[in-house]
Amino acid sequence: MPIESGNRRRTPAEPLPVRRKTSYGSAGRASRALSFSVAVRQVFGSGFGTGFWLAAGWLLLVAACALFATVLPVRDPLDPVIVNRLNAPFTSNWLGADGLGRDMLSRLVHGARVSVVISLTAVSIGMLIGGSLGILAGYFRGRFERALMAVLDVILAFPWLVLLLALVAFIGQSLMAISLAIGLLWIPAYARVARANTLSVVQREYVLAARAMGASTLRILLREVLPNVILPVLAYGLVAMGLVVIVESALAFLGLSVEAPQPTWGGMIAEGKRHLAIAPHVALVPSITMFLTVLSLNYVGDRLRSRFEVKESNL
Amino acid sequence: MSETSNPQLRARDDIVLKVEHLVVTFDVGRELVQAVSDVSFDIARGETLGLVGESGCGKSTVGRAIMQLPPPKGGKVIFKGQDITQLEGEALRKTRTALQMIFQDPISSLNPRRRVKDIIAEGLQIWERPNQRARVEEVMEAVGLDPETAADRRPHQFSGGQCQRICIARSLALDPDVLICDEPVSALDVSVQAQILNLLEDMKARYQLTMVFVAHNLAVVKHISDRVAVMYLGKLCEIGSVDAVYQHPSHPYTQALLASIPELETSQEDAIPLLQGDIPSPMNPPSGCRFRTRCPKAQAICAQQEPAMQASPSGIGDHFVACHFPG
Amino acid sequence: MTDSQHQTQQVPLLRVEELTVRLRGEAGIVHAVSDVSFQLQRGQTLGIVGESGSGKSVMARALMGLLPRRATHLMEGSVSLAVDGRVLELLKLSEREFRTLRGPRLAMVFQDPMTALNPVLTLGVQIAEPLQLHLGLNKAQAMARALELLTQVGIPDPEGRLRQYPHQLSGGMRQRVVIAIALACDPQVLLADEPTTALDVTVQRQVLDLLLALQRERQMGMVLITHDLGVVANRADHIAVMYAGRIVEYAPTSRLFSSMRHPYTEALFKSVPRLSDPSHTRLHAIPGRPPQLIDPAPGCAFAPRCPNAQQRCRRETPALAQIGDQHLHACFYPIGSKEVGA
Repeated sequence: MPIESGNRRRTPAEPLPVRRKTSYGSAGRASRALSFSVAVRQVFGSGFGTGFWLAAGWLLLVAACALFATVLPVRDPLDPVIVNRLNAPFTSNWLGADGLGRDMLSRLVHGARVSVVISLTAVSIGMLIGGSLGILAGYFRGRFERALMAVLDVILAFPWLVLLLALVAFIGQSLMAISLAIGLLWIPAYARVARANTLSVVQREYVLAARAMGASTLRILLREVLPNVILPVLAYGLVAMGLVVIVESALAFLGLSVEAPQPTWGGMIAEGKRHLAIAPHVALVPSITMFLTVLSLNYVGDRLRSRFEVKESNL
Repeated sequence: MSETSNPQLRARDDIVLKVEHLVVTFDVGRELVQAVSDVSFDIARGETLGLVGESGCGKSTVGRAIMQLPPPKGGKVIFKGQDITQLEGEALRKTRTALQMIFQDPISSLNPRRRVKDIIAEGLQIWERPNQRARVEEVMEAVGLDPETAADRRPHQFSGGQCQRICIARSLALDPDVLICDEPVSALDVSVQAQILNLLEDMKARYQLTMVFVAHNLAVVKHISDRVAVMYLGKLCEIGSVDAVYQHPSHPYTQALLASIPELETSQEDAIPLLQGDIPSPMNPPSGCRFRTRCPKAQAICAQQEPAMQASPSGIGDHFVACHFPG
Repeated sequence: MTDSQHQTQQVPLLRVEELTVRLRGEAGIVHAVSDVSFQLQRGQTLGIVGESGSGKSVMARALMGLLPRRATHLMEGSVSLAVDGRVLELLKLSEREFRTLRGPRLAMVFQDPMTALNPVLTLGVQIAEPLQLHLGLNKAQAMARALELLTQVGIPDPEGRLRQYPHQLSGGMRQRVVIAIALACDPQVLLADEPTTALDVTVQRQVLDLLLALQRERQMGMVLITHDLGVVANRADHIAVMYAGRIVEYAPTSRLFSSMRHPYTEALFKSVPRLSDPSHTRLHAIPGRPPQLIDPAPGCAFAPRCPNAQQRCRRETPALAQIGDQHLHACFYPIGSKEVGA
């Protein structure tokens, strides 16, 4: 997992493993370790800071809500209680109630489910297909790369919302169908990220050394290239998930996401639109939740990614 | 390109590696650049051939072309009597194990995500050799790494010099015949450089290696080599034993190279004029002799006719130079 | 070294006293430069020799005021520059004040000429810019001066070059342009940080000779920083050898080479492969490796690799002490002392 290795401490190496010699110092780093640029760069890589942990905590909370929505002590998200209609927050409903008197907190918790499932599935699809294509393109170059990049450029140039509408119309509005549709949309972006990272890894001499050792292409891809490409790709995944949450809500806003009455954050915002003048919280509460979630995903993803970059350059 | 004869190739029966008329080209945009053009030399068993020249002269490309990484555009690489440019697939992969390589940047030569013992065992795993663990420990000890403490670490926990030791251990694990060293010490500090050079000499003796040592530093090359080949803009200028080339440099370029080395000894105001100007672009090399644009001895013929390899006027055996006006 | 030890009547052009720089690193505070003192006279060249991690580049950047503030944990001591009869204390200047000095007073030549030039601007613009900024020349005057500078640094066809971009030049030519830019405003002090390390041997010598010729002609003070003793051997007036952020030996060049006293200087000198040695000569490698500068151990930093080291070296840090005319070293048991080998 990215978090684990991203959090790697600079383990001080034992004294020089050359036996007969006395050794000095530790912190096994490149001999240029203290060159100016590294010293400066180290500053930016130091620790993750409280912001990171706050963001990660929020994401954990959202994930837990999604996972345990059915067992959490919240009301039924589909149960309209007319007396609670448009209740303000901090009344009998903690976060207020919507136009039908449904509990907002409960709907948020259940809506998290949709957001989490869709973003995870969509990003996984994009990562698997796009990532593999990108690695292959970056490794083999040549005609395959040119053809793939041309196709991807065409997909990227297509208005994504129109494409998505067509896809949803074609494969339906179930949770899986929507995840799949958004996932397909992510293939080009992932292919690009994976290809760019592969290109830089392939130039490293350890790939050449593996070939000199007689390693097969498959072995090089799996042992030398993949482990070095996967971390930046995974870190990009968090940023992508943030975008997927927004794309899903846009679909929901147009009434094309998971069908009502299943709560989704986008659907809640769409519904709140009607009550903006008298009860702005109906739209605001899901908006703020989504804002925090996307912000956290971006923040965590960004920090992890920059951490990997620092690590790469230190090596 | 006319095929020149190659008097510098020796008729000995202990020749391990012979490179004939090697040509390597690169695509640069729409143009084809000849990084190496018509280079021939041979290396006898147990010999170290130093390959020197400035950046862009094609010396590293020669090293890689021997490994078929990538295969050269033309010419032959004859290893133990077999032309390996004709090999493909499994056969090529198998032959490569007898030729190993170490690179300039020891840190970029090691996969940051793997442990030292896995890196060193890579070749053994690929070829499913027996007793891998023992072999890994043996080569680690040989290069001065403690298997106990070093085996489970990752490359970033080591200094540049240590990483170069790991690279050397990796290249030795498969028990190669030929070790190609591509600028192995130029990224290291002076004090560490000496350690690695000494180590390479030790390893050569211990594992009966034949070496190709590519470097730009003439003093380093002199220390480690038996024979030296000087390259300029993809061509071989001069080749001969270390003593012949360093004591009696016959090519004006070799003379200029030797004169420009900053030396520690008190000022040697040299008779040989310093080179003017820069190396021309390999995209568009000068006609005739490629060195003529910077050569103090250049005459009309140098622009018209490419000089062929001929015995050097030094009179020392196996000392050859490609110059119209050697000496 | 203090004033009394340096009996020069002249006010030195650049005087560095007990400069200590600590940087914030990921793994802790890096003791990059510790207690470095030296002075530089007009028209002199000081060679600073050290391996990577010896603090030589950090020191140069500290003198130029180029260390990012957020990366600097501590900067102590004094760096004074004689400017028109006044003495400026550089460490006390604000970034704004410092900016007016870079160019006309202090200039720097970096190792990599490719990254030191802006790839999207023509050479003419890059040379003329500091002239317009610092000397208040108009565009035509600045371009005329740029032409003059390119001629001085030995670039053929300088007029054509003014309109070219950096990628159209070879490495050696680029470094000449970098030198031209550094010299544009007639600096008093030129810091050259590994100016030829990225260049080929045959070009390296041309560039070094050029730097030295320009330095003599303009009577600049030059600090030539390098890892290669050979580069400074015949060029510097004085040499300071740095190890682990400290100057361990300082002497006039000829004196340093004829009677080096610090074991590190000698070890460094001996570990360099020489052309004069026969082939397959065993090199004198220095065992171990340079120390890390985070939480340095007490005592002399070279002690763990030093053949002369004794108990005392591991407890106390030797100070830089004068042993002869302008010859200083920081060692308890220097080469040739009686206690060694006891």
